[in-house]
Amino acid sequence: MYNTIAQHLAWLSIWRRKTRSLMVIMMIALSLSGLLGLQGLYDGMISHLINTTIRSDSGEISLYDKKYRLNKSLDYRLTPLSKYKDAFSKMESIEAYSIRLEKEGLIATAHKSLGATLKGISLENEKTFGGLDAFITQGDYSFGKENKNALIGSALAKKLNLNIGSRVIFTAQDLTGEINAISFRISGILKTGNPSIDDHSVFVSMAKMSKFINVHQSATQIALRVKDTENITIVQKELQKLFPDIDVLRWDELYPLLIQMQDWMNIFNLASYAIVFIVAALGIFGVMLVSVLERMREFSIMLAIGTPYKTVRNQIIMEASFLGFIGYMAGAFLGWIFLLYMSTAGVDMRAFEAGLELYGYSAVMYANMHLYYFFQAFFAVFFATLLSVIWPLRKLKKIKPIQVIQGKML
Amino acid sequence: MKLNHVYKTFYPDTPKEVKALSDINLTFEKGEFTTLSGESGSGKTTLLNIIGGLDSATSGEIFFEGEEITAYSEEKMAKLRLHDIGFIFQAYNLIHVLTVRENIGFIMKLLKFDAKEIEERILELASILQIEDLLDKLPGEISGGQQQRVAVARAVASRPKLILADEPTANLDSKNSARLMNMLRTLNEKEHVTVIFASHDKYVLEQSKRIIVLDDGVVIEDR
Repeated sequence: MYNTIAQHLAWLSIWRRKTRSLMVIMMIALSLSGLLGLQGLYDGMISHLINTTIRSDSGEISLYDKKYRLNKSLDYRLTPLSKYKDAFSKMESIEAYSIRLEKEGLIATAHKSLGATLKGISLENEKTFGGLDAFITQGDYSFGKENKNALIGSALAKKLNLNIGSRVIFTAQDLTGEINAISFRISGILKTGNPSIDDHSVFVSMAKMSKFINVHQSATQIALRVKDTENITIVQKELQKLFPDIDVLRWDELYPLLIQMQDWMNIFNLASYAIVFIVAALGIFGVMLVSVLERMREFSIMLAIGTPYKTVRNQIIMEASFLGFIGYMAGAFLGWIFLLYMSTAGVDMRAFEAGLELYGYSAVMYANMHLYYFFQAFFAVFFATLLSVIWPLRKLKKIKPIQVIQGKML
Repeated sequence: MKLNHVYKTFYPDTPKEVKALSDINLTFEKGEFTTLSGESGSGKTTLLNIIGGLDSATSGEIFFEGEEITAYSEEKMAKLRLHDIGFIFQAYNLIHVLTVRENIGFIMKLLKFDAKEIEERILELASILQIEDLLDKLPGEISGGQQQRVAVARAVASRPKLILADEPTANLDSKNSARLMNMLRTLNEKEHVTVIFASHDKYVLEQSKRIIVLDDGVVIEDR
């Protein structure tokens, strides 16, 4: 019953100064909705980067010869492939895998040459593995009628001024150390958002690649997709047991920069929460302090006529909580609308496309939306609310009601 | 209510020391209608506040219904005030966000009275104090005299054993003062509530059954 009185008084009291209360509610709502929108967008950007990296290159797990990543020599390759294929077929946790054979070399047109990586792949496998076909921006997802053509990363194509049908020459050392050259036409241009693909990679059929570098039934990388992404570490350990002599690496071990970016983004989110927390706490604190000070006489009367201190205390806490909660609800609703829009329609950042592509971001960014954003925001506002009433309550606790009523103390 | 050798000194042992009350020995019986009188600064309000537990005595003993309350904690004293004492202040002191009805029922609600009982009591008091038409209004929407009647209704609503009124007529005109005193007198007679005023209003003194005169913190007359 005491709390019912406190609730009733608290609710009436916050509307005693409507403009002031509405200003605080708006302040909380706007800062919170902005924060939710930013959090979702940044989260979406990072998720997009991770997702495209996994789909276009690393999978959740990749297998390499132990020395290959330090010295990309064809001597350090995975062979025979049947050993791996047999093992994968027995592991239910593996959804798909892609066998790749790559070699660094020089790609040249009549006017320009650049360092690049030639990758032998199976188009069908890559389609199942990560939907590589979805990254085609020009031309076809095909190596042509006799598998003679190639797909190329968009940034590399741009640097070499290549179009569909352009002919290029790729020069590299084969297994024996001989310098070989291969010529092909471009049949498709890929834009994955993964700089290692877009800036450096050229894809040809596995058969053509094997013949070119004189390597058969081998791979330099086997990338795996894991069915349940929660179990990546378990699958990794299982594979490490099966193949102790090779590197079995998770995507985050292969691309530590992505994790670093994710960490930075988390720090950024934390800082944003701290700002919202401070804004909310200061906003509510200011209002509560003024509100308590200007009603000190009213509270003194309540205490004088026998109202328990806890009822008055609860009333003040509830006033702050109402402001915080209404602000939170309005902010969460606005934030939800922002996130809904940004996660479906996306945010068109084409004006900054060049800069964004440099870091592998998409020009149209899509926000993520998770329930935990709203829980985090709720707790930030909740604690801000509780903190904001501590000082006004301390002030109230110190007063002598009769002196305030008689105007001798405030 | 009994006071034995009660002293009150403000700012003790400082140059600003003021002896507000000296050796007060008084007994108030149930159903009394008493006024503490005296000039401004005589100590009547201080004595009323000490009787009501709003202020503490520097020394002496205070008994309420045979129990010594001098050393009660603030929490225990608040409980005593809530259950047994009704206050009427000079400046009405209603809760501005609550309607007249809610103000009258406030203490009853704190005491967890049944909602039906609260409403019946509100209507009964509103009828006695002639404020039936004001029940749904806010204090800011009614006159000073009407607010003081609401304050009286709030003070007596839960049927406390003791009502303490500090200069209740100070802000009222003679007509409203007479009306207020009549009402308190009626409540005193009908409900046998002990009423103690602190006032130097002649009309209040005329209406009182007992008058205690204070001068410079000392009882100089008790008739």
